[in-house]
Amino acid sequence: MIHFYHVTKRFDRYSTALQDVTFQIEKGELVFLTGPSGAGKSTLLKLILRQITATEGQIVVNGRNLNAMKKSQLPYFRREIGMVFQDFKLIERMTVFENLSFILTVLNVPPKEHKKKAYQALRTVDLHHKLNAYPPQLSGGEQQRVAIARALINDPLVLIADEPTGNLDADLSREIIQIFTEANLRGSTVLLATHNLELIRSSGRRSITLEHGRIAEEKARVTERPHVREGVFGIGG
Amino acid sequence: MPRREFIPGRREPEVPSNTFSYFFREAFRRIWVSKRTSFVAVAMIAISLFIVGSFLLVAENLGRAAEEWQGKSRVIVYLESDATPQQVEAVGRWLASKRELSNRRLVTREEAMARFRIWFANLSEVVGQLDQNPFPPSFEVDVEPRFAQSRAFQQSIGALKGMAGVDQVQYDWEWIERLRRVVNAINIAGLVAGGILAVAAAFTIANVIRLTMLLYREEIEIMRLVGATERIIRGPFLFEGFLQGTFGGVLAIVLLFATYESARRALASSSSILWGFLFTGFLPWPKIAALIAGGMLAGWFGSWLSVRERGDTEH
Repeated sequence: MIHFYHVTKRFDRYSTALQDVTFQIEKGELVFLTGPSGAGKSTLLKLILRQITATEGQIVVNGRNLNAMKKSQLPYFRREIGMVFQDFKLIERMTVFENLSFILTVLNVPPKEHKKKAYQALRTVDLHHKLNAYPPQLSGGEQQRVAIARALINDPLVLIADEPTGNLDADLSREIIQIFTEANLRGSTVLLATHNLELIRSSGRRSITLEHGRIAEEKARVTERPHVREGVFGIGG
Repeated sequence: MPRREFIPGRREPEVPSNTFSYFFREAFRRIWVSKRTSFVAVAMIAISLFIVGSFLLVAENLGRAAEEWQGKSRVIVYLESDATPQQVEAVGRWLASKRELSNRRLVTREEAMARFRIWFANLSEVVGQLDQNPFPPSFEVDVEPRFAQSRAFQQSIGALKGMAGVDQVQYDWEWIERLRRVVNAINIAGLVAGGILAVAAAFTIANVIRLTMLLYREEIEIMRLVGATERIIRGPFLFEGFLQGTFGGVLAIVLLFATYESARRALASSSSILWGFLFTGFLPWPKIAALIAGGMLAGWFGSWLSVRERGDTEH
């Protein structure tokens, strides 16, 4: 689903964000991307969304070679990807509902279905009662969850999140990861960039560690479907 | 929602079907949010179209007057003061024999005097002091406009002038032709001046839209990242310019009508002979529609100029 072949990203002669990165994430996987600040995590996610292009190497996402992709195809490619940005990127002048409704407009969903779909997505993140609130009226954690709802509303093939648990307390972090795990169960391939090593350890999922723009370590998944046995990270059913 | 798998070669709709209502909603909202700058753009368009409209209106009324006068093309055959009744009768018969000449009327010297007294009431006393009636008798005949333009008409006038008892033959469409040329010149001047102003207004709109786009640049970036096409992003801006142009066009028409009505009331009632021909009616519907369409076009063009520039900076 996500294939990186010897990818290098240089911003200028003196700044190399990623150096010869090669990995594959198969369809239906949930993978953590970790590493210290400045390791290249955000750059890697930006490359997947093709906010930026690779200096060298090939990136294939959902069967599309991003280097060869035409500019005109970019929006349609991005519609297949649900992205949760570190800074949420919610449109502040729009209500929570309008933020979600806009995505549905872009996806050509009939307006009469918008309310239902937005409600369902917000219910997933337990924010259905904040439908008419504006982002500035919400706490950081709530904005984070709205951003997740927006990423989920399209039932995306690939779900990417940049520090989705940053600035959240431990309980909320587990709830957020639970939401991603459920999306993964519904079929989305999930890539989560996080500093939170404890979350990664307790999930037992595959992780890729970046350091100085290179892959320093790859850990394979160690447990089978923990959510079935005891709920994800010990919460839930 | 069905999962959207990638299918090579599949053509996606450029703009979703439910997007046009979104464009309008957003455009209205943005105009409302940036009321002041939008007002400047609308005012610029309105002023430009008001000027074009003023020229068109003057030309329209002059044209109508020329049309009316041309429709009533009249020949006045002044007879000599001492023309005999036989000579008068002969001229009358000659005029009656021409199919192209109709409504023949003999205006006697007394009738001519009476007319003068009515039309120039202030001078009636002066005329009363004269020893004898200075006005000659005349024939007035209407001429078919088509015949008036023909060579045969000129020949007939020549023959008429040569008849006994005929002093002078007067017909007045040479100056109508000159008036038509003036009307054309006014139309061209209006279109040129208006065109220049409309382009200036379009650039004003372009700048307003550019400012709005700067205001919304973060939002535009978010839209791009969630998969909005350039058309979806630019659509509301294009519609914003289009609406500003439309409002400008409508405002221009309203102002023009108000000015026209005020002027008509102020001038036409005081000296109807002098100004009356300038107030025969407002612009016809096709020209009103054309002015509003001009505003729409200028607005659309202005916003297109600015969104076109932004297209290169996308990521």
